Amino acid sequence: MSVALQEPGLIVDEEPIRSRRGIVWETVRRRPSAAGGAAVLLLLALAAVLAPVLAPYDLHEQVGPVFGHPSWSHPLGLDDGGIDMVTLLMWGVRISLVVGFAATFVSMVIGGTIGVAAGYFGGKVDTILMRITDYFLVIPDVPLMIIVAAIWGPSLFHIVIVIGILLWTSTARVIRAQVKSVRERVYVKRARSLGASHTRVVFRHVLPQVAPLLIANTVLTIAVAIFDETALSFLGLGDPSRISLGKVIENAFQRAAISTGAWWAIVPPGALVAVIILACSLLGGALEDALNPRLRVSHLAARTFRLRPLVGRGSEVV
Amino acid sequence: MRGADYVVKRVVFALLTVFVAITINFALFRLAPGSAVTNLARVPHATPETRLAIKRQFGLDKSKFAQYWIYLGQLVRGNLGVSFANSQPVSKNLRTALINTIPMVLLGTVFAIVLGTLTGVIAAWRRGTKVEGASVTTALAFYSMPTHWLGLMLVILFAGTLPTGGMSDEFLLNPSFFTHLKDLAEHVALPSLTLGLVLYGEYTLIVRSAMLETLGEDYILTARAKGLRPRAILRRHALRNAMLPIATLVALSLGYIVAGAILVETVFSWPGVGRAVYDAVLQRDYPMLQGGFLLLTISVVFFNLVADLLYFKLDPRITA
Amino acid sequence: MSGLLEVEGLQVWFDLDRGRELHAVQGVSFSLEPGERLGLVGESGCGKTTTVLGLLGLLPPSASVAGSVRLNGVDILAGGEQTIRPHRWVDLAIVFQGAMNALNPVKTVGSQIVEALELHGLARGRDARLRTGELLESVGIPEARVDRFPHEFSGGMRQRAAIAMALACNPSVLVADEPTTALDVMVQAQILELLDSLCRDFGLALLLVTHDLPVVAELCDRAAVMYAGEIVEHGPVDALYHEPRHPYTRLLFAATPDLYGEGVPASIPGAPPRLDLPLTGCPFHTRCDRAFARCPQERPLLRELERGRSAACHLNDVVAEVV
Repeated sequence: MSVALQEPGLIVDEEPIRSRRGIVWETVRRRPSAAGGAAVLLLLALAAVLAPVLAPYDLHEQVGPVFGHPSWSHPLGLDDGGIDMVTLLMWGVRISLVVGFAATFVSMVIGGTIGVAAGYFGGKVDTILMRITDYFLVIPDVPLMIIVAAIWGPSLFHIVIVIGILLWTSTARVIRAQVKSVRERVYVKRARSLGASHTRVVFRHVLPQVAPLLIANTVLTIAVAIFDETALSFLGLGDPSRISLGKVIENAFQRAAISTGAWWAIVPPGALVAVIILACSLLGGALEDALNPRLRVSHLAARTFRLRPLVGRGSEVV
Repeated sequence: MRGADYVVKRVVFALLTVFVAITINFALFRLAPGSAVTNLARVPHATPETRLAIKRQFGLDKSKFAQYWIYLGQLVRGNLGVSFANSQPVSKNLRTALINTIPMVLLGTVFAIVLGTLTGVIAAWRRGTKVEGASVTTALAFYSMPTHWLGLMLVILFAGTLPTGGMSDEFLLNPSFFTHLKDLAEHVALPSLTLGLVLYGEYTLIVRSAMLETLGEDYILTARAKGLRPRAILRRHALRNAMLPIATLVALSLGYIVAGAILVETVFSWPGVGRAVYDAVLQRDYPMLQGGFLLLTISVVFFNLVADLLYFKLDPRITA
Repeated sequence: MSGLLEVEGLQVWFDLDRGRELHAVQGVSFSLEPGERLGLVGESGCGKTTTVLGLLGLLPPSASVAGSVRLNGVDILAGGEQTIRPHRWVDLAIVFQGAMNALNPVKTVGSQIVEALELHGLARGRDARLRTGELLESVGIPEARVDRFPHEFSGGMRQRAAIAMALACNPSVLVADEPTTALDVMVQAQILELLDSLCRDFGLALLLVTHDLPVVAELCDRAAVMYAGEIVEHGPVDALYHEPRHPYTRLLFAATPDLYGEGVPASIPGAPPRLDLPLTGCPFHTRCDRAFARCPQERPLLRELERGRSAACHLNDVVAEVV
């Protein structure tokens, strides 16, 4: 569930961001939380992409004893197979991000399509689609994912599909609301009256307006997708052939890392997942907040207005 | 009664959703290609006679429609089938599991609501200060932590001081009431703390956001103009109005907690509903899976209904 | 001269991001005698609402204020929130825009009026309820409606209720911030009539903030025209209309559609200056049709031209020099 995230601080945005195109960049520029989140994500994505090149050791090479302690050559120690943790983490981020992005893509496509269709066509189509969405919303995700993953068999592809199938509901709702308001705008009505086909109107007029919100929602969905993948892996339903961060945690858990006292096998991978989720939440939350015109003025706070000593008199220029 | 038809509408919708959930449940387990259908009959350690009896009881030799009808009939009678794993009625297993889960989840939730509301209000009140930044950051941090990982971290931290597995000490023979209570308390501490911390993060953000919105409303300005003191405004107007979105969001989240408890119960080997579902998956115990899943879905629908009704009760503007 | 309300050199700044500031009110001064009615007019964004909010200390935490606000000779702004709060509602009461959510939607209208009465010790319990009923009746709302919620009232009735609430503690000054904006024309007339009769019956001083000139003409004796955070002209309403001494006043009145359809209303080209940047010269000179060499260079001061009339325009100096 995504929570609203108003930017901390008292400053009121003097100029609302007018251009929809530049809104992502503008938000990142103005809000430190968004900038932080974006920076972290870019960094991790970079590390993930360059993992084969940057990783200090080979992924499958045992370089020491099982659960070897952290040392200078292995800052984060070794896992249950004697493999360097730093290497594992870099590859793990890769897989986790891939799953997160892929699942989110699936949910974005489904949710976006349903949201646009429901918002644009309205009427019966809208009602039916929203009923379906309501029912999907009611299904508890984690149990369903467990069951489907168990029935279908663990593989990266299945995991992506399973997660994607459950996450589209929030996207659909958000997009539908936005499409509904865009549809009422003058230029859309004008385009329709000029005889533009539905497809043209949707792609040329509706989608560009909806895109920023879709981006915000997508970023937030990535956070949930990564969490879900971690959860599934932990419950033993992840793809055994790929090492995601969730799998790293699961392996450590299964091989009694805790009783051995090998905290380095558990803490770093989970911390990394938390960081990714945090970064996504910050960036997505800031974007969403920037796009929804929420009241920024606080009429009441612990602090009150400040007094300044009078300089000059009357209406003189200070 | 104000808007009695609203209440009726929501209840009917909830019942309808439950019905749809039941149908989906049936479809998932009986109509899934190959696997689940015959699994019901493929009870391990069962004699051919038992297999036949089960087949007939569940109507697996009849058409899908007939099976569906039989399934509905059984549900109405509370018959969720028999677990493969321990040959006990699924309903009995689930009842025990539910009794175990509820106190743990309740404890964690209450902790989260209290702490979350406190920090959320403070963060909104002290907008623009370091306190706000710290509250939001901490809440976000806990909100972002994977539940099971946080559980594992707590295990690492408290391994020596508190028990980290199970619900009670099996080696306590004939414990007195207080010893038993103390034992239970020690065992429930970490699992509910884990759940509580993750939820507290979410609730802080919800409360803060709702308070910030409320504090920006015009009637707050009016209240100030009337000469009310800030704290009085906070109590009488801000909190009162922010309760609306807060209560409904909290109620909504409760529906998903029972499912989220799966992770906590797995980490701490807590014998609750979450664990039961998980074990059922591992053991391919389809009756338990089916029953557990249905239970979880119904809990989500139930709490959604509670959220709807709460919203209706708290907001006088809703009339239909 | 110690008037009822004397505002002198009021300035308001709002914090913006990156250490910048918005100078929303740039030195506003006026005074109000008991029973007097002053209109504060100008385009939206000129700072008139911020001025009256500053008067009552109702600014957000991102604001800073300078200047003095003297009520019966005492500067209530001197100590900030602490010194202003005791005077809210009992001396200075405010009615907000009709479209606003000024009444708490989850509380009954009656309870909100009772709150004001009880807070300032005018009545308790049953007495408060009785008094609330009386107040509502005095603004034309049936007393039976006292337990209704704001959403059950029409816009006009909500505004009446807000007025009733404002009068609850017998203030001496009533501030009305765009009281008729966003209301139907018929309802507007009723509200104005109500304000008129109430102010007369209770001897209230009225500070009316509006961008709607006919409203000022109907209700107020004097008016102060604001532009870019300062008062550019001040005087009796008739004088402002018939012989304005500032180009903005003239153009503003000319821009109002005439009921009899004579002449085409002219809009003033251009836009007000940005208040987050320092200003040189007269703030209006870029849009002024009478600007000359001195205007972009020197900022005109608000000078008293004759008794009860002042304007901030270099043209008045030119005339004086010529004469």
